[in-house]
Amino acid sequence: MLWFERQVVTTLTANLDEGLRAEVEAYVDETLRAMPEHLRAGMAAESVALGAWTRVRGGAGRSAPGASLDRLESSRLDPVRQYVRLLRSLVLFAEHELGHRPAQVVAT
Amino acid sequence: MTTLDAEVLVIGSGAGGAVTAATLARAGRRVVVVEEGPWVDPDALEPFSLEEMVAKYRHRGLSAALGSPTIAYAEGRCVGGSTEINSGLWHRLPPYLADEWRHTYRIDEFSPETLDRYAEGVERELSVSRVPGAPPPSSAVLERGATKLGWRNVEFSRVFRYDTNGRGVKQTMTRTLLPSALDAGASLIADCSVTRLLRKGDRIIGARCRRRHAGGAVEHITIHADHVLQRSGVRHGVGAGLKLHPTIKIAARFPQPLDHDGVPMHRITEFAPNLTIGGSASRRGHVAMALAESAGDYRDALDNWEHVLVYYAAIRSDAGGRVMAVPGARAPLVTYRLTEADMSRLARGLVHLGEVLLAAGATELYPSVADGLVARRTEDLVAWWDAVTRRRTNLMTVHMTSTVRMGEEQSRTGADSFGRVWGFRNLRVNDASLLPDAPGVNPQSATMTIAARNVAHFLAEA
Repeated sequence: MLWFERQVVTTLTANLDEGLRAEVEAYVDETLRAMPEHLRAGMAAESVALGAWTRVRGGAGRSAPGASLDRLESSRLDPVRQYVRLLRSLVLFAEHELGHRPAQVVAT
Repeated sequence: MTTLDAEVLVIGSGAGGAVTAATLARAGRRVVVVEEGPWVDPDALEPFSLEEMVAKYRHRGLSAALGSPTIAYAEGRCVGGSTEINSGLWHRLPPYLADEWRHTYRIDEFSPETLDRYAEGVERELSVSRVPGAPPPSSAVLERGATKLGWRNVEFSRVFRYDTNGRGVKQTMTRTLLPSALDAGASLIADCSVTRLLRKGDRIIGARCRRRHAGGAVEHITIHADHVLQRSGVRHGVGAGLKLHPTIKIAARFPQPLDHDGVPMHRITEFAPNLTIGGSASRRGHVAMALAESAGDYRDALDNWEHVLVYYAAIRSDAGGRVMAVPGARAPLVTYRLTEADMSRLARGLVHLGEVLLAAGATELYPSVADGLVARRTEDLVAWWDAVTRRRTNLMTVHMTSTVRMGEEQSRTGADSFGRVWGFRNLRVNDASLLPDAPGVNPQSATMTIAARNVAHFLAEA
């Protein structure tokens, strides 16, 4: 994941316990790597642009993506809204699939 | 470098490839099947789970056809192809569609009677059957709602075999035709991608694989193989006619908990073939994603996710798309541009789906429309007519067809009536790419039926 993607995912997983958060982040990271190359390239370009925009708006290092996530989700630009939607969907799916697996029985 | 010799090389092991391989191997042909995905034990993973998506889906299920709006799509990438991950619903090609395609594309020997004969053979082999006893509550929802509204609905058969306790096991290709092909002497190479077909004049003399060379006549290409065809200099009529079923969804909350293990087998056919209503996979993760698509506060619904199921309306689209090779990339570029009539059908589909779910007792409906109003009464559905716009609608599909259409009308097709690619003596396509249009329903039956017909023709001709 690129810097801004990680910031968004970290924001979306803020309420999860540490173990599950690590699992969800790993899932999102691997899934982004598995995307078709042209889609991944487009998303990476968007990540760089949004990361730069967020830093400029809030001052480098002072504005966490969490503060601007709402703004991005209500953006008039389709790709920006879809960007957040994609990451949110991946996080939600992983959170609810990985976080509620049946307990494993371990024979000793 | 390893070199393999084959009489028939089958690229792809899904619905079309498995029929082709099994039939030819049983007829004594030396068959090699190459599959770019892995072999996954069909009993190892829960259907529709995250683990299954990681192991069996292309790009882990994260693909999209670019357009306005973008349409997310999922397809299998494993031995057995999409038969390993789909719902297993079985819809024979309707006779009127067979007639329409036969006339429009001048397809020889394509009468409904001919197709039915091959469909019966495939159905026997795969144990196509109805669920024994009453349908599960998730499916009965559709039946109940449609009955209240006076709409036609059908319980479809599935590619399932049931034991005496009523427990069903989906008869995927890894459980049926692929073992049969291997028993008859075929070889199967998993995790092996074909990167180029080797051409000599009007013949294909072999295929170059990422891991091995395999020699022999090429007889089958999958949708992803359009990519191979284009890179190999085969372009006429290939990749340009992509068709799919755009699908719009609703997460519906009910007063009582419902089953979440399978996919409903009822379909509402009142508006078929242009609009079909059915049910989707509704595991906890799917419910969470579907709820988040709309505008409402979904936290309470998510806390009670056992009461929520995901349903869809799928349309037959007027539009078309393309599958194009991208230099230096493994994944092709897929585009699809919906027409205004398609958008109108989607809006109508969403409203009809809402009507039937409310009639069935749903108390809250969350549409897959950004900022879409959560509907609780029939009157609320009126707002959805204007909400289904290119900017706000979230669509997906699972059925991609028609990139190498079949028929004798050469200007509109990529292959002849039996799948032989125009301009080549020994290159054939035998999968969903051949369907001249999206049939409006799960195309597995049509794909396997046509594949069985084509391979029988090949054997009779040889």
